[in-house]
Amino acid sequence: MSAVVQCSLVTDRARTGCKGAGAAAWLAAHSIPVPPSPNTAVAWPEGAGLVARLGSSEFFIEGSASQIMALDTAMAGSPPGVYPVLRADTAFLIEGTGVHEVLAQVCNINFAAQELARSPVIMTLMIGVAVLVLPEAAGAARRYRIWCDPSFGEYLGHELGVIIGAAGAEPIRAAGVT
Amino acid sequence: MMRRLPPMADEWIDRSRPLAFRFEAAAYQGFGGDTISSALAAAGVMTVGRSFKYHRRRGLLSAANHDSNAIFQIGRRPTVRGDVTPLEPGLEVTAVNTFGGLERDKAQLIDRLAPFLPVGFYYKAFHGKRLAARWERLFRRLTGLGRVDLAAPREPTPKRYAFCHVLVIGGGPSGLSAALAAAAAGARVLLVEESAQLGGSGLHGSALDPARAATIRTLVARVAADKRIDVLCSTYAAGYYDDHWVALAEPHRLSKVRARAVVLASGAIEQPTVFRNNDLPGILLASGAQRLLYRYAIAPGSRVCVVAANDQACEAALDLLAQGVEVCAVIDLRRGAAGEALARLRGAKVVILEGWAPYEAHAGAGGALTAITVAPLGASPGAVVTAQARRLQCDAVLLGTGWAPALQLAAQAGARIVFDESLQRHRATELPPGLFVAGRAAGVGDFVARVAHGSQAGVQAAAVAAGTVAAGVSGGAPGDVVPSSSHPFAIIDHPGGKNFVDFDEDLQVRDLENAAQEGFDSVELMKRYSTVGMGPSQGKHSNVNAVRVLARKRGLSVGELGLTTARPMYHPVPLKLLAGRSFNAERKTPLDSRHTALGAVWMPAANWRRPEYYPRPGVTREQCIREEVRAVRERIGLIDVGTLGKIEIYGPEAGAFLDRVYAGRYSDLKVGMTRYGLMLDESATIIDDGVIARLGEQRYYFTTTTSGSATVFRELLRWNALWGLQCALVNVTGHRAAVNIAGPKSRAALQTLTNIDLSDAAFPYLAVREGQVAGVAARLMRVGFVGEIGYEVHVPWAGAARLWDALIEAGRRDELRAFGVEAQRVLRLEKGHLIVSQDTDGLSNPVEASSMWAVKMQKPYFVGQRSLRILQARGPRQLLTGLEILDGRLPRESHLIIEAGEIAGRLTSVARSAALGRNVALAMLRPDLATVGRELSIRVDDGAMVRAKVVPTPFYDPAGERQKSGVAA
Repeated sequence: MSAVVQCSLVTDRARTGCKGAGAAAWLAAHSIPVPPSPNTAVAWPEGAGLVARLGSSEFFIEGSASQIMALDTAMAGSPPGVYPVLRADTAFLIEGTGVHEVLAQVCNINFAAQELARSPVIMTLMIGVAVLVLPEAAGAARRYRIWCDPSFGEYLGHELGVIIGAAGAEPIRAAGVT
Repeated sequence: MMRRLPPMADEWIDRSRPLAFRFEAAAYQGFGGDTISSALAAAGVMTVGRSFKYHRRRGLLSAANHDSNAIFQIGRRPTVRGDVTPLEPGLEVTAVNTFGGLERDKAQLIDRLAPFLPVGFYYKAFHGKRLAARWERLFRRLTGLGRVDLAAPREPTPKRYAFCHVLVIGGGPSGLSAALAAAAAGARVLLVEESAQLGGSGLHGSALDPARAATIRTLVARVAADKRIDVLCSTYAAGYYDDHWVALAEPHRLSKVRARAVVLASGAIEQPTVFRNNDLPGILLASGAQRLLYRYAIAPGSRVCVVAANDQACEAALDLLAQGVEVCAVIDLRRGAAGEALARLRGAKVVILEGWAPYEAHAGAGGALTAITVAPLGASPGAVVTAQARRLQCDAVLLGTGWAPALQLAAQAGARIVFDESLQRHRATELPPGLFVAGRAAGVGDFVARVAHGSQAGVQAAAVAAGTVAAGVSGGAPGDVVPSSSHPFAIIDHPGGKNFVDFDEDLQVRDLENAAQEGFDSVELMKRYSTVGMGPSQGKHSNVNAVRVLARKRGLSVGELGLTTARPMYHPVPLKLLAGRSFNAERKTPLDSRHTALGAVWMPAANWRRPEYYPRPGVTREQCIREEVRAVRERIGLIDVGTLGKIEIYGPEAGAFLDRVYAGRYSDLKVGMTRYGLMLDESATIIDDGVIARLGEQRYYFTTTTSGSATVFRELLRWNALWGLQCALVNVTGHRAAVNIAGPKSRAALQTLTNIDLSDAAFPYLAVREGQVAGVAARLMRVGFVGEIGYEVHVPWAGAARLWDALIEAGRRDELRAFGVEAQRVLRLEKGHLIVSQDTDGLSNPVEASSMWAVKMQKPYFVGQRSLRILQARGPRQLLTGLEILDGRLPRESHLIIEAGEIAGRLTSVARSAALGRNVALAMLRPDLATVGRELSIRVDDGAMVRAKVVPTPFYDPAGERQKSGVAA
């Protein structure tokens, strides 16, 4: 059985972030949904972007360029207890029937075991690079959004491409069973 | 001679698929499904290799990769394990460790020199210095298994993580039943088996009990059909790590499996009987013969003698009889043994010699076995009554006198391995939670009991995996259902020696006894001195026998001596599997494409790639760097410094935080200004430096060194968590770009791109400003690292290329040059600026680095302050000092300064300065020598001495006028 995996660069979204004791309240005041617990995410606005809570008081936000610019502008006013976090992450979307086999070669997280109902956001390392990973439903299957520091973007993208190209993701069930 | 038998019911070979191959240049044919070893055996090839030390002929022993007799070279691939490597068409296989080929190995002469090569010979050879080098060359030439071709291409192999509820190691009867039981209980199971197919030793003894074959077929079919069970064949568990993390070596990749529970059904490893010439080709383990028989339909010989001390060996004899192979005798070390297998052998009129043992094996022309001398066992362990010895003609001897449970992985997992004297075997106790040992590894010998025991372990493992049983409850330590299957001392003395305990290392009984005699009389010392168990087999067939020899020598029990520590890897793992794809997480700045367009020569800087310099046609590297330096000194230069760590800190106590983590003071820094920062650890060692800029009352932005950015940020987060100050840290290293535009004409060029007033009055030296540069939101810091007026311009990642292009264009009229890291190193050296970790080392403190000007000792606290006070009082052991090289020859960094024949310091930085017209250096120097004008000698690579003298720093523009005001000094 050969598997298909596609990995694409997500360039049509902008990103920003904020942290600080007042960050959650400030976001709520700007009608931005706040994930209730750390390491979870909510869609914003209406599925075109997202807000991820990375800790008790740190948030990662992705949306259209105009939405993010508006948020950055608002944060530039130095609201109390809210500190802007510049985010220029490189973003990937990886999907396909062999996606878990590819991810297994770059990360020690068991992504297949993640419960989508929790909307988990995973902060982990992928072949030496700190990443954010968001699992999403894609029909009956899953796909994953991956963000990393832009200085690692080319490296991570290249290695993912090599693995996808080389493997075609082989199944664990092996031949030789009589 | 070994030969292929007619087709057998469960054989692994595909007789419709003949495969031609060559061994030692001779042509042979095997079948699909054969291993290299089985194909050679079927072709009647008895000698497959030469031993490591004495170059004795060696044949198949275990046919299970437990020994190292069948190691081959295939083209560029060294140490190919023939017992488990599938035969492929066209293979060109050669033996290893021979000089002139397997049959005519010139080094076989060494066998006759054995009396002159005592245990510990290697150590003794190196005892004296005079001949050590000669011995080393000789050993290197004579020893080794296979040939490494350094020109062989890389074979990148995947490494992957995998997950399961229950990992079952071993696909024999107990492993199969464990997997099925765990899956039936709802667990997701991963079953791994080292051989190419499942079944393990399940078919062995089928002549006695034909039901075994049917049971195995059923179990294998059920496993194949169970969707909750994944199977990996040709895979072995190489290492067992914390929390059930197991490394699986597959043929072409390494998997790191995290399991919730593990069933270790790894079976038992048969131990050789030790007697003179027990290594002759044709002598193999009884279980090895059964593997050859059932998997590959190979008879071990035409007339076989079986040495037995357990029922399994008798079953092996029956298995051979059932296939028409003559069994000339069973030499049973036991007296009065019963059992159905023995009874059937008697019924078949096989000669049974009870209480007898093999004494010596004999070889004919060509080295193959022709006969064996046997004798009744004597009164003491290891003795036989030679007066009654008999010689039996045979072409194969099967050894079946003992087993060692394969508990290496259990030991790695943390289990305690103890020796049961009554059963003469080791057992695992105090198993870590979630680990279960099943089947023969747990000492269960009976076939039916093994299946039941595996099932029990599978159920328990599934329960732990599901959390329905507390993880602390650990099953799998069963009672024994069979009597001992190991003879307490199947080791026979012989005055002529050559009774081998370790086939890997050619170790005889007397070698181990002599080791003990010389004082190496514990298992760990004996191992290291004699090298027993240190060969490719890792002691699988030698450790237990070696301990028995030592125990007899010392008059202790095996249990009292213990075992050596079992460490990963269980089998040797190919280096390519460990290397994997060799990921190298390289960072690139957003200006990487611009540097590429300029043809940059790259160099690694921490995990970044940076331009070393920009080459020009027909110009040498040194000239290019000199031109780049000159551009900065005389006109304008531009360098990408985006690799610097870049951190923002916000909050009412941000200044107080910086006061604590840096040696300087920053809470009093004026908004809009910057200050140099020196970071120490708690022992006052310099760990980093950078520039701290105050952007607002509660807002700072600071840089770290390129190599220190990640570790510094982690350290700052740790301190912030400990202190709980009201501030927040943001690491924007990768999200911001930065360039430094420097040189007398830099201000004018930059001014054309920004409405920030760059005049000295509005933007003095060490100031910081925020605004737009080339339409990009930017932070500008006026710095002087390279000793000219200059500005670091920091912008978001997305604006970097636009900024760079605009600066290049703005500086074109003044012949702006991009400059690389090498030019920057020269420029800063001319200024006497240190680079942390180049000019400092892992012990340098600010006193020694002549950097106390950056330390505010009167602060109430900063990290390293207390240690620094102590170090100040003690005085420096070395001082960072400026040197001028007096001779024309340029020393290199790390060259030593010699004073009165003693090392008095070392160069940390050195360069030819075109601006100064001389060679200058920084050096860590003994303080009593660090006086201006003092002449020194530097020893360079070829031992020549180069003169230098101590001079003050900075070497260039000592008053700093150029960087402060941009005017010529």
